[in-house]
Amino acid sequence: MNAERPFIRVVNVSYRYPDGTEALSGINLDIYQGEFMAFVGQNGSGKTTLSKCLNGLFNPTSGDVIVDGLNSKTTSISQMVRRVGYVFQNPDHQLFNSNCWDEIAYGPRNIELPEPEVKTRVAEAARVVGLPETYFGEHPFFLPKGMRQRVAIASILALQPKVIIVDEPTTGQDARQSLEIMDFLADLNQAQGHTVIIITHDMPIVARYARRVVAMGSGRILADGPTAEVFSQPETLAETFIEPPHITQLAQRCRSLGFDPGTLTVEDMLRQFKELVA
Amino acid sequence: MAPIIEIQNYSWRYSYAKMPALNGINLIIEEGAFVGIIGPNGSGKTTLAYSLDGLIPSQYRGIKQGAVNILGREVEAYPAGALQKLVGVVFSDPEAQFTAMTVEDELVFGMENLGLSVPEIRERLEWVTELAELGHLLEKPPYEISGGQKQRVALAAVLAMTPRVMILDEPTSMLDPVSRKRVFDVLVRLKEEQRNTIIVIEHNLENLASLADRMILLSNGELLLEDETHAFFEKMDLLLENGIHPPGAMLFIHRLMQEGYYASRLPLTVDEAAACLTEVVARLKPPGPASSRG
Amino acid sequence: MNKTLLGYVPEQSPIYAVHPFVKLFFLLVVSLFPMFIASPEWNLALMLFILGLMWLSRVDMRVLRIYVPMVISMGSVIFLSYTVLGGVHPEFGLAARIAGVNIYWERIRDASVVYARILPMIFTMVFFLSTSRERDVIVAMRSVRIPFVVTYVFAMALRAAGMVLEDFQIVRQAEQARGFDTAGKSIPYRIRKYVMYMIPLFALSLRRSEEFANALLARGYAFTGEASRVKRADYVLTHYSFRPADLLLTAAIGLAFAALLVLRFGFGYFELERSWFIAWLKTALD
Repeated sequence: MNAERPFIRVVNVSYRYPDGTEALSGINLDIYQGEFMAFVGQNGSGKTTLSKCLNGLFNPTSGDVIVDGLNSKTTSISQMVRRVGYVFQNPDHQLFNSNCWDEIAYGPRNIELPEPEVKTRVAEAARVVGLPETYFGEHPFFLPKGMRQRVAIASILALQPKVIIVDEPTTGQDARQSLEIMDFLADLNQAQGHTVIIITHDMPIVARYARRVVAMGSGRILADGPTAEVFSQPETLAETFIEPPHITQLAQRCRSLGFDPGTLTVEDMLRQFKELVA
Repeated sequence: MAPIIEIQNYSWRYSYAKMPALNGINLIIEEGAFVGIIGPNGSGKTTLAYSLDGLIPSQYRGIKQGAVNILGREVEAYPAGALQKLVGVVFSDPEAQFTAMTVEDELVFGMENLGLSVPEIRERLEWVTELAELGHLLEKPPYEISGGQKQRVALAAVLAMTPRVMILDEPTSMLDPVSRKRVFDVLVRLKEEQRNTIIVIEHNLENLASLADRMILLSNGELLLEDETHAFFEKMDLLLENGIHPPGAMLFIHRLMQEGYYASRLPLTVDEAAACLTEVVARLKPPGPASSRG
Repeated sequence: MNKTLLGYVPEQSPIYAVHPFVKLFFLLVVSLFPMFIASPEWNLALMLFILGLMWLSRVDMRVLRIYVPMVISMGSVIFLSYTVLGGVHPEFGLAARIAGVNIYWERIRDASVVYARILPMIFTMVFFLSTSRERDVIVAMRSVRIPFVVTYVFAMALRAAGMVLEDFQIVRQAEQARGFDTAGKSIPYRIRKYVMYMIPLFALSLRRSEEFANALLARGYAFTGEASRVKRADYVLTHYSFRPADLLLTAAIGLAFAALLVLRFGFGYFELERSWFIAWLKTALD
């Protein structure tokens, strides 16, 4: 964690829906550049609402969200999305241009960048997500699901936000596809320096990729810390109705044998086992 | 028990595709079995599910070879609407399956289609409502209930038609873990109380492994492996090669087996794995001063 | 208040004790009343009566705010089209001259009459929508023996509309997340851009419709053949019983309509010549 100032500060944020339900209450959170975080929690816990407050889609009913020094309440949406990108779960909710190139160019054009700049950004974004040039003229609707998701991510990347929030990157994907998309996000984080926040239910993926976990329940943050630490607190997790990944559960079940309750991977477990019986 | 589903050398190619979605499938499923089907996306799992329900070939254009027999008859030989009484399908998208305006109407729809009388409907309605724990939701419209609740409604609605075979095509892929668990709880009860044949297609193995009697691996349209569950998971390398990620605990014990620390039955749940691990550690840990760590 | 696809309905209300058929009957019959009433004051009184019924049914009167813009714009359109765009008859009396356009008395009179007729019709519909949950509408249709297919298509349309509305919210947010901002832009710009929303909604509906059709088939619904002619139990109707009070209400509505017709055609009530409002309006404009 850097000692520099946080890129995003969430200060005492509450959010109440028009019909009165309180989705968030008293949220305090600091997000630094270069983090790889996961927001976890049951449906209705507020993780999606919180994420949407981070990029200005929602304005908190009280409290402040400060992104890169700008207060989300007084900043226009086009300024906000240049800093915090949000990729929705279902690419079909986002894609509507008749070809992929225009789709990725949509964001930069919206924020009124000059056309040469737009071209550069589109090419760069397509390269980063691994979208071959042959797809540029294709209609997004007919692409396979994995490609559509990449186009959606590219269209957000073209805005070059420092923070990118991805809603459920692995839902409905098989194991190989999940790893592909997560490896790609990890690369964005390590090699390109983006802050990546994933909203997900997939605990093994969280264990493997996220360095920090924010667990939410009933509109509050119930746990916020390094992944192993959060997963090794069964009481807190029970409150969020989250179960840690399978291997972590095994380690916790065998805690009395000497296993670390924060074990995140099979390799780590194996290493501990060998040390124990050596 | 007698076989209820017999698939002989079955291939299906969608008319828009170059490659067949399913290629030369041979499979026999006995009545009353709980079968899990796994495989990467695009391996043909959904195609197989639709073939068993008659949706393929009646709703989709393509070329069929071989035979799919339910209760000794080919799927095409059943008149419209008759096969659906025998085979029920729950799909993966909770939104797209909810066609009525309240939960109760949804549950009742299938039964009305079968021409059941009001007293029969009432009785079955009570039964599935209790089984799937939907009692407090009966009057609610679809936009007031969660995805997980909708899936339980879909399950109950299909169950109310008392099909002999129930197929669930990735029923929990769009759900959060709690909802997922609740759907599987219903399946557990179903397995204990009823004698339907249940076929579940899933990516998430943690819940499925402990329930299924037999497992099937599909990859690229071919049936690569079909076996009783423990034996199935023992072929871990084949599974990993084909993009399956077994639950972490199972994988760990498998590694122990590979390295010679353990040589017995593969555990399917965390509890079983913990028991295994405890036993192995006890057997192998060098005896020494009482180590009261934890 | 509960939100339904058709509007807002109260959580508790005496109207829920009434069989949906009666509500539908009320809607259909009372909507016809204004056709036989020419004098605006009677139509406006009818509208007030309907509003009174809404209040008695514990409908939250704030829902009316939703309809105010529509009522105003409709009124403007009617007056404009009658007065400015309407034809001229040599016998028409000139009431005013605005910006070089002749405004004739008869046109104003006709516009007022039409507007006063439309208002109670609108509010009868609003009353129905504000006191009926989706299920009530469907039950009302089934109870008059509308073929199952029709009611089912209607129910599915409602359901589909609901899903589209949900999708719409998400699509709007997704576009905003890509910098789409209509703040401070012109109306034509906004309209052009809103058309964009249709595309993802369309794509989503297309994808869902295949699953929807599969789900219907999986529930044994057959569109043709022997299976489609099965006798349906109509289980939902078991929740509603037609009681003596319902019969009385239905009869009352029917009698009211009959009385209306008798007064109109037998005794010449509700005609323009006898209307105080029209008389007042004429003197006000002269």
